[in-house]
Amino acid sequence: MVKLRARCLLVGDAAVGKSSLSHIFYSDGSLFQKNYSLTTGVELLTKCINIPETNDSVELYILDSAGKETLVEGCEKMWGEPSLLCLVFDLTSEQSFANCSHWMERVHAHCKGLHVPGVLVGNKSDLSARREVQASVAREWAQSQGLEYHETSAKEMENCDAPLLSLAQAFYSLYQERRETIQNLSPG
Amino acid sequence: MIDSSGAQVVLASSSDDNHPPENITDGNSKTFWMSTGMFPQEFVIRFAETTNISSLTVESYNIKHLRIEKNTSPSAAQFEPVTQEEFERTEGHLQTNAISLNGCSATHLRFIIAAGYDHFVSVHRVSVQTS
Repeated sequence: MVKLRARCLLVGDAAVGKSSLSHIFYSDGSLFQKNYSLTTGVELLTKCINIPETNDSVELYILDSAGKETLVEGCEKMWGEPSLLCLVFDLTSEQSFANCSHWMERVHAHCKGLHVPGVLVGNKSDLSARREVQASVAREWAQSQGLEYHETSAKEMENCDAPLLSLAQAFYSLYQERRETIQNLSPG
Repeated sequence: MIDSSGAQVVLASSSDDNHPPENITDGNSKTFWMSTGMFPQEFVIRFAETTNISSLTVESYNIKHLRIEKNTSPSAAQFEPVTQEEFERTEGHLQTNAISLNGCSATHLRFIIAAGYDHFVSVHRVSVQTS
């Protein structure tokens, strides 16, 4: 049995639904905040994810970081070295999707050359009439960045677990890979 | 005299049942303790009695920055800094680093891994040269 621990950075433009998603993760889908409240700093939430068909788990330390441009710089100081990335955009806002590449650049600067597994999340899938970003376009970009793509609706609590499970599994696979490498090392 | 018998790990910040911290002091560099994510990570070694240590040899993988603290108290608390080391990255083989402690006396040694070259690091053996 092993319990892994991962620092998971939750970023994306302001008002795309990062905090709504993180509160749903945290409360196991019992809590959707109806009133918008701008995150001004970094909020920390922890969530333990069991890896299916094993006794192993991954404890995620989710850093919900403010998306508003003027606040980002202050928040970056608290990012540390992330283990995982959850990048969120709003499916009804082309601009929030376009800005994802800026977020990737920012995050990469903190990764010190380490491979950081990540997901791209298109949120607000319930607002289908107002959709501006097609799934195929988002999926293609995600692939080019090495991210797994998910669509969620925090409001309808649809598919909200999928991104976290996928992150936990990616980190778990990484651990197993590294453990294998270490088992095969020769003496110094 | 090279000795890690009589020394035992009394605390470690990570635990994988298959790679327990006892592997650090079992004298075998094939077995190892592995960290399970995030930094810093630490482990504390207790000696059977207060010991004068001339140097340590640490066999590890992917450790970047290591700080060592000590105390001469029977409990694992109130540590004072001894030294800090920047290890070079290795690929395909273990990092082996000798660290001089100038005969300092210690009951506990605390190893704080502040940074790594990867998400996970391993410690295979700590051997102690006493004086």
